[in-house]
Amino acid sequence: MSNQDSHRTVTELERKIAEVQILQRVSADINSTLDLDEICDAALRTMDELFEFHHANVLILEPDHRTLRVIASRGYENQAIGGRVQVGTGVIGMVAQKRRMMHVSNLGQQRAYAAAQRREMEKAGRGAQLGEAIPVPGLPNAESQIAIPLLIRDDLIGVFSIESPVPRSFGEHERDLVSIVANQIASAIHNARLYAERRQAAEALQEANASLEARVAERTAALERELRVAQALLSEARSRVEGPLLGGSAAVRQLRDGIARQAERNEPLLLTGPAGAGKEAVARAVHDGSGRAGAFIFVSCPEVNTQYRHAGDAMTSRDAEKSLIASRFELASGGTVFLDAVHELPQDLQRALHARLERDQDRRRRGEFEESGVRLIASTTHDVRQPPPGGFLPLFQLLIANRLNVPALTDRREDIPALVDHFVRRHARRLGKVIDGVSADSMRRLEAYSWPGNIRELRAVLERAVLLCRSTVLEVDEEQLNEAVAVGSYRLVSRLGSGGMGEVWLARHRFLVRPAAVKLIRHDVPPGAAREQLVRRFEREAQVTAGLRSPHTVQLYDFGANETGSFYYVMEFLNGLDLHHIGTRFGPQPAERVIALLRQACRSLAEAHGLGLVHRDIKPANLFVTRLGTEYDYVKILDFGVVKDQSGRDATVLSNQDIVHGTPAFMPPEIVMGETRIDGRADLYSLACTAYWVLTTHTVFEANTPAQMLLQHVQAPPVPPSKRSELPIPKQLEAILMMCLEKDPAKRPSSALQFESELARVPCDERWTNERAQKWWEVHAPEVVGE
Amino acid sequence: MPMTRLPPEIRPVLESGTPAAMVTCSADGKPNTTVISRVYYVDDMHAALSFQFFSKTIRNVRENPRAFVCVWDMAGHAHWALQLEFERSETDGPIFDAMDMQIEAIASMTGMSGIFKLRAADIYRVLSVERVQHPRWTGTEFAN
Repeated sequence: MSNQDSHRTVTELERKIAEVQILQRVSADINSTLDLDEICDAALRTMDELFEFHHANVLILEPDHRTLRVIASRGYENQAIGGRVQVGTGVIGMVAQKRRMMHVSNLGQQRAYAAAQRREMEKAGRGAQLGEAIPVPGLPNAESQIAIPLLIRDDLIGVFSIESPVPRSFGEHERDLVSIVANQIASAIHNARLYAERRQAAEALQEANASLEARVAERTAALERELRVAQALLSEARSRVEGPLLGGSAAVRQLRDGIARQAERNEPLLLTGPAGAGKEAVARAVHDGSGRAGAFIFVSCPEVNTQYRHAGDAMTSRDAEKSLIASRFELASGGTVFLDAVHELPQDLQRALHARLERDQDRRRRGEFEESGVRLIASTTHDVRQPPPGGFLPLFQLLIANRLNVPALTDRREDIPALVDHFVRRHARRLGKVIDGVSADSMRRLEAYSWPGNIRELRAVLERAVLLCRSTVLEVDEEQLNEAVAVGSYRLVSRLGSGGMGEVWLARHRFLVRPAAVKLIRHDVPPGAAREQLVRRFEREAQVTAGLRSPHTVQLYDFGANETGSFYYVMEFLNGLDLHHIGTRFGPQPAERVIALLRQACRSLAEAHGLGLVHRDIKPANLFVTRLGTEYDYVKILDFGVVKDQSGRDATVLSNQDIVHGTPAFMPPEIVMGETRIDGRADLYSLACTAYWVLTTHTVFEANTPAQMLLQHVQAPPVPPSKRSELPIPKQLEAILMMCLEKDPAKRPSSALQFESELARVPCDERWTNERAQKWWEVHAPEVVGE
Repeated sequence: MPMTRLPPEIRPVLESGTPAAMVTCSADGKPNTTVISRVYYVDDMHAALSFQFFSKTIRNVRENPRAFVCVWDMAGHAHWALQLEFERSETDGPIFDAMDMQIEAIASMTGMSGIFKLRAADIYRVLSVERVQHPRWTGTEFAN
């Protein structure tokens, strides 16, 4: 070997050693980091050392597999990070498409050649065939470029590209070197991406875990709360329903039979009966006996009513139906929804519920499955044998078709010992007391008591007695019974009815034993402005009524507040019927009777108007017809609760309210219009509406909604009553009534006394005498005259 | 004429992509000279030329397979004179793919995809090769 040859061999060997060292270093550098920037730095440094290439781009294949994105760039004045190359375009794109390394050493010349071809084509008029030149990231004046696909197990992950502005050829050995570096880069990028993905996944997992843990903790706490509430509710519900079906009286046996029959049926059921009689227990018994798989859902309609009214305009009736009714049906799926005190459900919701029930009924008729398979049971304390003026709403029409009456406790007195035994044992067990039984005196007292609050009251009385009991024999004295339902000096005996203002009870004075009617403010009105307003109205009614002396105005004995904060007033107890009941039960009344009744009402109103008071709510239900000694058909005007004081003493109290008082079917137009100066002629309009109803049993105007009704009072001319009644109505009576029904108060009789004198002049074929009245009562309502 | 082998020194010259002059003759002996962008190194006995357009050169070669190619070696101040003979035309395979990839890369950037396109890789046998050294150019040759 010549010296020259041996020198060449040594040089070659040194070069290869240097290359190996460079490759070792790049391998170590690249594999020691997971940072893409550091990987690119190491790769570029290697390219510089090996081939003096100073420009490099690392591009990653995007998930769409059609685009490459520059993620690292070195040596360029304008770094192309984020720049994109379409797969198949340019050197880089072609390398990605073919997945093969490409070396181009005469880029400038090739571009020039392509440009020359373009010019030739344009000259030859073939320019339309040419496309737009597409810029790609890289050196604009590059002469040499090597692009290498970055592959991991034959999957392309990107392209590594190096460029130089100097023409440069690459031999096989150099291409191998570049490939080695590219493989290292591919591995490092792959590892870095895997690491990033896993770290991201781990972080996401950690975050999800934390969120899940928080949610689980929150849900667990909520479930525990719900469980505690459910247990309390269940326990409370059990205590309510245990007992009422005990006993062997005919009434309770009949009730149990009814329950058994109802358990086999699917149609809606209405439970009627007084408050506290055990309607919820009956509903639960029907549900339990039906074997229905779903839940028994209790819905308090007074609460629904409150929620609905509080929501106001924020909730449409459709929303309300969804959130207050439909949600309960969903909850009860396959079970029973029990609507307690369904008469308290707002009319909008009653209509929506009726539509739902009709849909279910249609499905049942067609033999199809019902929407939710839920049975509806509703309860009411109203007497459904008597339809209200205008008839029942469709929901009630549907419900009353299948009803079951739950008897009052007084109708099953023989069950009282069994019930007492049951409640005493239960309360004693709960309170950890040993009570062997109830003393004979106490039992007699319990059996004799009127139980206006029914089983609920019995349970409460016994609970209190057990609590206070200090021996093994339970004593229940008179005071304990009285205390349960006493107001002032009066003991409540039985509930006579309920209305917008509250409840009316039959009561007896503790010492005078005189019967009286006690009016109580409703207990379910929550504290707040509405309650305060109600209380003010109550006091006002009591004060105003107390100031009136007409025998045709109900007489007030007393008023005040009891220990529980409830307001009450005590008025004379009237035995008879109001005009609403008379019209509803016995139909249109003869003109001469109506005249006689109206004249008495006019005398009551004349006194009130003379004192500057306007009743504002004259209607058939507020004209009570009673027997006073030997006088039959004696009229008393009730409910001065919405009286307006014209003297101005308290005018602002009532006139500043944004409330329209009164009953739509009987409301004078000036009250509808919200006029502030209302006088006695408003009552004359309402009295004429009342007379119209008693003569025809039709209201002056008929409408589907209260708003429509009110509008007609303001705008529509009334149809003369003679056109709507089969009974003869004297022309003079009709004329005076139509005069009272004038929209303009100035066109009505100027006073109640004038109205009364006009009525007195109406000629009738027959007179309404006391004898005729007595006969009427004896035939139609013997229970009234018999007492 | 017998075949000859390409010396290793010519490979970097061919791979550097230097343009070359090519002379062909029609069947009736009429010569044609053109410039080609690149002569591809296939192996030590073959070179390849791209067939992109129907031209006088292509027609001549199909009529008369002999060709003369002169490749400039700018760095070495020399040129290589090659006598070639058309052997076959390839429209696929590794040689075609390598040439096609480069042409398509340029065409796609310059808006000439589908126009600037490799129709075939024409494979020539090398009949002779000669390196001709140029005198050093001083830059004053054309000075007056």
